[in-house]
Amino acid sequence: MTRGSDAGQTGIDPRGPRFAAAITSVLLLVTVMLGLLGVSSARGSYGWFAYQPLADEVFAPSAWAVAQASPIERALDPGFLALLVVALLFVWGVLSPRTAPWAALFRTLVQPRLTPPTDLEDPRPPRFAQGVGLFVTAAGLVLHLAGVPWALPIAAAVAFAASFLNAVFGLCLGCRMYLLLQRAGIVGRARPGAA
Amino acid sequence: MVNPVDALLILTALLAVTLGVGIVVRWRQGRPQHHVPNEVVDPERLGAKRLGDTATLLQFSTELCSRCPGVHRTLSAVAEGREGVLHLDVDLTHRPDIAKHFSVLQTPTTLILDGEGAIQTRFGGIPNRDVVELELARLTSEAE
Repeated sequence: MTRGSDAGQTGIDPRGPRFAAAITSVLLLVTVMLGLLGVSSARGSYGWFAYQPLADEVFAPSAWAVAQASPIERALDPGFLALLVVALLFVWGVLSPRTAPWAALFRTLVQPRLTPPTDLEDPRPPRFAQGVGLFVTAAGLVLHLAGVPWALPIAAAVAFAASFLNAVFGLCLGCRMYLLLQRAGIVGRARPGAA
Repeated sequence: MVNPVDALLILTALLAVTLGVGIVVRWRQGRPQHHVPNEVVDPERLGAKRLGDTATLLQFSTELCSRCPGVHRTLSAVAEGREGVLHLDVDLTHRPDIAKHFSVLQTPTTLILDGEGAIQTRFGGIPNRDVVELELARLTSEAE
């Protein structure tokens, strides 16, 4: 029956994470495009082929360009670099949500022009959501470096969908995960005042 | 590489699917669900002394929920404007047992109980005020 009034004092403006998600989703959409146009989804046109006369078939060791590319070529792919930037921003958002670039931009440029927030939000679910974004993008980066085709645009697309839903519809999937994990007793049992 | 035209098509499809998911989720939120088990709620278990005489607006919130205070204000105002209607806001943050019992997967979740305490309607997300008023009017007319 009691609502934690202490939670309101330490909360953040819920529009802040949505603003950040809007910028992140644009970055990720560009990343998906670069990933699609890059080495990740390319067929190995310059790969080596061996023709075996007796077996009468063309032997292609791998049909995907990314599997044939060297790790340095994989890392220099524009889509990889773009996703790396987004992942580093997620790292920043997890380690220090207050100083993260989009949060700082929101506070200095956007928030003064808006009416004061009617309700404040606990900062932990959005921070956890940044961690989920980091997990998804990092998985894409690692798989791409390992030479897995399509890993880069797919990871970027998944992260894009989540940040877009947050920005446009206020639907934060990472925050929902936090609440479900909390319900299961895995994270954040302490009251905000004691945390 | 995917050719640029295909890449743009994929991008468009991605945008369309994401928008579609968002619209469906938004549409489902705030709509009343009537096909719910008509369980009779025991107020003692929720830490309340009694339920409303004609109806109860039973809201489930958590400390981490940014939209719960707004819904709390709306439902309180609705309950105050009607005789015999009570608004209960139950904080589930430290009561996972209640959350599990009512299978609350999102907050706010609002249940409308009739005069007997039986669950009549369920809202996931932010309930539409007009729909809540309509449901209450239905319950009040049934009670008379």
